[in-house]
Amino acid sequence: MTGAELLRETFEIQGRDFDKAGEISSEIKVTLLDLGIPAESIRRSVVIAFEAEMNVVMYADKGTLTFVLTEEEVKLDICDEGPGIADLELAFQEGFTTASDEMRELGFGFGMGLPNMEKNADDLRVETEVGKGTSVYARIRLNTHG
Amino acid sequence: MNELTHGFRIEAEKCHGCMACMRACPTRAIRVKKGRASVIPQLCIDCGSCLAACSTGAIAAATVGFAELDKFKYKVAVVTPALYTQFPLKHAPAQVNRALRELGFDAVWEYAVDIELIDLAIRKYVKNWSGPFPLISNSCPVVVRLVQVAYPTLVNQLIRVDAPRETAARELKRRYSKKLGLEPSEIAAVYIAPCQAKTISILQPAEGGGSSLDGSVGISEIYNDLLSILRRGPAEDDPAGNGNGSSEWFHWGAPEGEFPSLSQEHYLPLLGLSDIIKVFNDIEKGKIRNIDFLECHACQGACIGGNLTVENLYVARTRNLRLISGLSLPSQAMGDEIARRLSEEDFSLRAPILPRNVEGRDIDLRDRVARKKRADAMMKTLPGLNCGLCGAPSCRNHAEDVSLDRAETVECVFLSRDRIDVLRTIYKKTARGD
Repeated sequence: MTGAELLRETFEIQGRDFDKAGEISSEIKVTLLDLGIPAESIRRSVVIAFEAEMNVVMYADKGTLTFVLTEEEVKLDICDEGPGIADLELAFQEGFTTASDEMRELGFGFGMGLPNMEKNADDLRVETEVGKGTSVYARIRLNTHG
Repeated sequence: MNELTHGFRIEAEKCHGCMACMRACPTRAIRVKKGRASVIPQLCIDCGSCLAACSTGAIAAATVGFAELDKFKYKVAVVTPALYTQFPLKHAPAQVNRALRELGFDAVWEYAVDIELIDLAIRKYVKNWSGPFPLISNSCPVVVRLVQVAYPTLVNQLIRVDAPRETAARELKRRYSKKLGLEPSEIAAVYIAPCQAKTISILQPAEGGGSSLDGSVGISEIYNDLLSILRRGPAEDDPAGNGNGSSEWFHWGAPEGEFPSLSQEHYLPLLGLSDIIKVFNDIEKGKIRNIDFLECHACQGACIGGNLTVENLYVARTRNLRLISGLSLPSQAMGDEIARRLSEEDFSLRAPILPRNVEGRDIDLRDRVARKKRADAMMKTLPGLNCGLCGAPSCRNHAEDVSLDRAETVECVFLSRDRIDVLRTIYKKTARGD
């Protein structure tokens, strides 16, 4: 039971575009702030949206982020047509990364993406297939954790 | 919610409706309706940008006048280090202190010790912090209010350590009540302020607790009087009062000076609201990592560039550097005093800092979404020119105002033809040829 859907929006994410990376999570933040969502729920939603957006930008050619607000939670579904994750368990370990030196020079790819998302989500599910792409489904409850 | 107090007032009869303040406001708190500016109190963070932008004098800072301080038996000036940068260097800090006493203060409080104590308290806080980084300094009241209004997700990252001006006020009341046999309530701690935001933090602390200071006097209010006393030259008996004038206190108030002892690698000094906003946006996205502490000052040049200062910022900054370079090593007495107070005092804030309740966020979520959809739909009918003629700084703000029933759709000149005639009448009366 997740309550009625109040708002839904889908954003296109452009892979390899480090310049624009983060704009979608910014937009989601502004929306949540305008709507007076509790601060802690906003913080967690924006961290997850940013990490997910960055993963698509770093590894995939393109992807989408779908943002849904219900009366009880924020849902973030991020789907990409990237290389997929070969070992999901390893990807959830802090510090594990397959990022190139170039990415790390830009300040990304420190292996904190998925662990950080997991830490901030109330529920996180990842579906991935090597060569096909990855989908991340995150749920953030409103009015929880202060 | 208690009514919010702000550090300035708008005198409607002086306002020409030029919109300079509206365009300067970083939180979009100002509207200009019928040729007159007004402020939305919940959005105002007391940064003073409107004060600086207003050319007609309609916006004036509100501080505590000298007359209101007469009810106290003993008045102590707590001086921002920025004050000493306002005068030519030949007027040494000790002479400025003397001039303050001549002006009517019974004593001047040197708060080198308080600054050092807070520095130690901040370092300890950062070391023991288990929550998300970076922590954000709270010494600039504008930054605290910016976080409360626009970055509620970061309120817990505001460091909960008192500002040195507050610990100074507490200590001086203890000291002088013991020394003079007065009640603490008979002693006034008056902050000599570089900006009106400090006044607000005294009248209405952001965390909802009380302030130990009793009021403030802006530097610009007493500048001329101080200067004329200084120009008369030193008095014949100039014992330099209760302070030794050793200038041990210039770090705080200087750019990049609040937290000099923290590892530079994990510490970002930020000056100016627009830069602070950029960094805060990146923090919310998790983009800034491996930074422990942000020292934030809303003014360019920190307190030295406050809107109640007088001297050109760059001249004042140069003097500040000269004063710092002349710093003597801390005295043994100062070291002893720091050790004594460090063991006896609690430097944490008395109450938590909470997000500010901004208009329209208190209704049912379903209604809030409906309102947002209404504003989004209206945005599509507006030109996106942000001309401001409706009285709001941007089309987005106008659409939001309408959705909040704070404005009417027809105020847009593109949507309502006769609106321009209304404005013509209003501005014909007030327009000046300059």
